Amino acid sequence: MLEFDGLTRHYGEVVALDHLSFTVPPGQVFGFLGPNGAGKTTAMRAVFGLVGLEAGTVRWKGAPVTATERRRFGYMPEERGLYPGMIVREQIEYLARLHGLHPADAAAATRQWLERMGVGGRAESKVEALSMGNQQRVQLAAALVHEPELLILDEPMSGLDPAGVDAIGSVLMEQAAAGRGVLFSSHQLDLVEHLCQAVAIIDHGRLVASGSVEELTTGGQPRLVVKVEGDWSGDWAAGVPGVRVSRVEGGAVRLVLDEGTDPQAVLAAAMHAGAVMQFGFERRRLSEVFREAVGA
Amino acid sequence: MNELVAKTQAVGPWKYALVPVVVAVVGLRIWLFVRRRRRRQQGSPSAPGRTAPGAGAAGGSRIQAALDSVAGDVGLVARREIRERVRTRTFRIGTLIILLVVAAAVVIPVIRKGAQDHQRIGVVGALSPPLRVAVVATGPAVGTKVTLVDESSLAAAQRDLRAGRVAVVLVDAGRLVVKQGFDPSSTSTTTLLVRVLAASLALQSGLEHAGIPPQQAAALAHPKPLPVTSLEPAPTNDTARTTLVYSLILTYVLLTQFGTWIVMGVVEEKSSRVVEVLLAALRPAQLLAGKVIGIGLVALAQAALLVGVALGLGAAVGSDLLHGTAPSGVLAALVWVVLGYAFYSWVYAAAGSLADRQEQLQSVLFPLQLPILFGYITSITGLGQSDPSTLVKVLAYVPPTAPFAMPVLLGLGHATWWQFSLSVAIMLVAIVAVARLASSVYMRAILRTGGRVRLRQLFAAEGA
Repeated sequence: MLEFDGLTRHYGEVVALDHLSFTVPPGQVFGFLGPNGAGKTTAMRAVFGLVGLEAGTVRWKGAPVTATERRRFGYMPEERGLYPGMIVREQIEYLARLHGLHPADAAAATRQWLERMGVGGRAESKVEALSMGNQQRVQLAAALVHEPELLILDEPMSGLDPAGVDAIGSVLMEQAAAGRGVLFSSHQLDLVEHLCQAVAIIDHGRLVASGSVEELTTGGQPRLVVKVEGDWSGDWAAGVPGVRVSRVEGGAVRLVLDEGTDPQAVLAAAMHAGAVMQFGFERRRLSEVFREAVGA
Repeated sequence: MNELVAKTQAVGPWKYALVPVVVAVVGLRIWLFVRRRRRRQQGSPSAPGRTAPGAGAAGGSRIQAALDSVAGDVGLVARREIRERVRTRTFRIGTLIILLVVAAAVVIPVIRKGAQDHQRIGVVGALSPPLRVAVVATGPAVGTKVTLVDESSLAAAQRDLRAGRVAVVLVDAGRLVVKQGFDPSSTSTTTLLVRVLAASLALQSGLEHAGIPPQQAAALAHPKPLPVTSLEPAPTNDTARTTLVYSLILTYVLLTQFGTWIVMGVVEEKSSRVVEVLLAALRPAQLLAGKVIGIGLVALAQAALLVGVALGLGAAVGSDLLHGTAPSGVLAALVWVVLGYAFYSWVYAAAGSLADRQEQLQSVLFPLQLPILFGYITSITGLGQSDPSTLVKVLAYVPPTAPFAMPVLLGLGHATWWQFSLSVAIMLVAIVAVARLASSVYMRAILRTGGRVRLRQLFAAEGA
């Protein structure tokens, strides 16, 4: 179990972390979400002792994290980094050895993880000769090669195509299923919603919401999604009393219903605007959880 | 008595290598002791909180394991540095080129000197056997080797003279012919040879005219030189200075070249961001120490290869590069290369962490190269003077310039072994201080990206 306890850090006038506290239980894919500049990277770096904290501690299994524990963690920083001129296989083996693996184990694990990431054929290439997508896969292999107890990935999906996102998602779920701690960050809340079992959402260094995705998305006011044929703007919904337009996506209008608003009245307004193609209730999205929590 | 002197001289040079080793070993012992005590004090209260079984009893072995892991990680980093450096084509070709240059520098003077050193004298007409011996014996007296070439006629001898096949022609044991008249002040080997030959042959013919038999006349005209003994050893000769110049150049090249490697290595890790992955598993001091040791070993191996090739070739072709040089000079230079590298490598590493891209290297490197350049130029100028200046004597105790100034002082016989040790001790203290400061700068700067980091910025931000 990883505990963030009261982490505080400023960069000059800018607040990076403001008494941030939350707990990452093992065995779940845990999403660390928030807009750009919310303090996710600073918090993750704090786990590895890469930033000085003004206050607070990071604990693993109840004890403050030290160099010994960190060697059993896996880390993929937001700024991806590998030696450009080094052979892929040697690079991963080197990192495995730095995390305490014996030479033979390091070689075997390297082979296995490069295969698993689909870059086994490029093992003898230099890192700089690989495409960005493949470098990303190698980077993930570097974070996983020593079978870490806790996996910390900073924006692992950014810059990946959908196939890459799926590949990473399946690895994360598999790691969590094996009982390891998995913490990954993202600023695209809705994109990763289906991947996470639990999340912590932060803004300006403060915790905004945390808990299981199930809990967070079933709470709050009901959402109604309505689509009227031929209508792309969703202007018809503006005049309906007791509803607020949350978002318009491809003509489908997401509406937040105030308490006591009759869905039938909304349906009537929609039918007045044109032929209704879609009408149904949906869960709250994480982005809505965030927006509602920060009052934006 | 002579034996005794020889013995102390043989022990002498090793003293200079032993001093830093002893100081370093004692320092390491003290450090380990302090560290162990500190660990023990910290270890016991936190032990119950740890999940490690039997934490209290296994305290000692845990320290051992921690120490092992320290050396192990540093070793891993160092091994990677060595492998990656030696593998590059630039390194291999560069080493080859430097080797060729060194080989040329050793061999070419010998070849040229060999050509000069061999004086051929053309002989026209009769020359008695004792005179032949006497003429040949003139060679060593003027520092050359003489061979005689029998010429069929004066005309043939003059042809050889014009073509440069002989340097002098001796006609009928009574007349010398050269190609071109000599400048009266000339001291070239040929001039000296001709002057000595002219005088001794004149004396010979004078003695023979006076009725002394040729055999005895030859003995009188070409006597064996008297043995010369001296009360004090010869002053530092030019070869010792030459060797010092070479060692200064080598120190300079090594310090700047491998310092640049360290900066480039640090900047590579920072600009490629790989450093964040590394620092998640390593302490900054481990990463830096591994890099410094790895590159340092490559540097030393390359230097050893160069010196080895230079010495081996020198011995093979009979170069006088090392004749008359005290081994202490070579050893002292070696000690100072290592110390200088240990000092500057930390400074270079800290400087590298300030740059964000390779393009910023120049502006970061330049201020660092100034003290090196200053020490190098001052010391090499000091070599040209008969007595080293006060400036050199002072710089020999200032860590940034000591790697250049101290070997010069020692080589010219202006420093005793305790002065040498004092300077080494100051340097070792300075290395520890610089290592601490540099690690702290490195740690604060290495993860800051987006432009060159200024020192003031680092420490100001930390205070806020």
